[in-house]
Amino acid sequence: MSENSSKTIIVRTFVLSTFVLAFIWFYWLIGQDKTELPSELIDSPAPKFEVADLLIDGVTHTQEEFKGKITLVNIWASWCPSCYVEHPFWKEYSKNDDIVLVGLNYRDEKSKALKFIREQGNYYDWTLFDQNGRLGIEFGVYGAPETFLIDPKGMIRYRHVGVVDHKVYQEIFLPLIEKIKRGL
Amino acid sequence: MSRQLLLLSSILFIFSFPCFATIDVYEFETPELEERFKLLTHELRCPKCQNQNLAGSNSTLSLDLKMIVYEKIIAGETDQQILDFMKKRYGEFILFKPEMSQNNVFLWVAPFIFVLVFLVFFLRWYMTHREVDND
Repeated sequence: MSENSSKTIIVRTFVLSTFVLAFIWFYWLIGQDKTELPSELIDSPAPKFEVADLLIDGVTHTQEEFKGKITLVNIWASWCPSCYVEHPFWKEYSKNDDIVLVGLNYRDEKSKALKFIREQGNYYDWTLFDQNGRLGIEFGVYGAPETFLIDPKGMIRYRHVGVVDHKVYQEIFLPLIEKIKRGL
Repeated sequence: MSRQLLLLSSILFIFSFPCFATIDVYEFETPELEERFKLLTHELRCPKCQNQNLAGSNSTLSLDLKMIVYEKIIAGETDQQILDFMKKRYGEFILFKPEMSQNNVFLWVAPFIFVLVFLVFFLRWYMTHREVDND
């Protein structure tokens, strides 16, 4: 085989493999869910706030209350259909005593939010009433439901966009919670 | 004919629905402030409806973010402060013109690398063929 023809084979193989790799990369890329945004707040302290409790008049909460315990902050609203699907899971979860479950009622009308709690059940340890959505924006929320995992130092460790169910909890949240418990 | 016309008009009248157009009204003291508001709301992407900017989106989140931009301009914050506020909460994604960073540096330099590689190959090919032609 002449030197020229072996060179041509090398060039052709290189071009062909580049195209194949580009195709695989492109195929992988379009399979990704690019609508889900990573949270900017991972490994940052929870935002500062002073927001009223939804259920108890005159009571306000701050980010300081996250300290000392592992906390899950669940963003929900009465206008959010997926929240009705997700909510029954929290009933099962509320039996878990070593973790605090906080509801963040996002951009809702108080009467409708209270109706939701009355009809669907209250499984939250306490619920923030973020009527104008400003606390949601501090958390970088872009929809509901979303759930944040906060460690005992008040640092955000994970943000889940969408419904949390048994599978999501077992596969994503539980390993992270175990990691936090081990002090990592 | 006029009866039919009257009947048709009546039907159209009965089945017509009121339609209201809403526009956002942001009042600024100077045209410069208004211009800054327009530029910023065009440069910022809506995190909810991701192919639109804040100016073109009517989602609730966009309206809230537009109001924050407005309040911050009125409060005297600079464009950079406002962009930093948004970036801190929604990340680089919220900017339609991303800034160069460690994560995207390849995207910025890749075109130059490709042109350079092409030039090197082209020059080598050209030199070889020139030598062959000279022979």
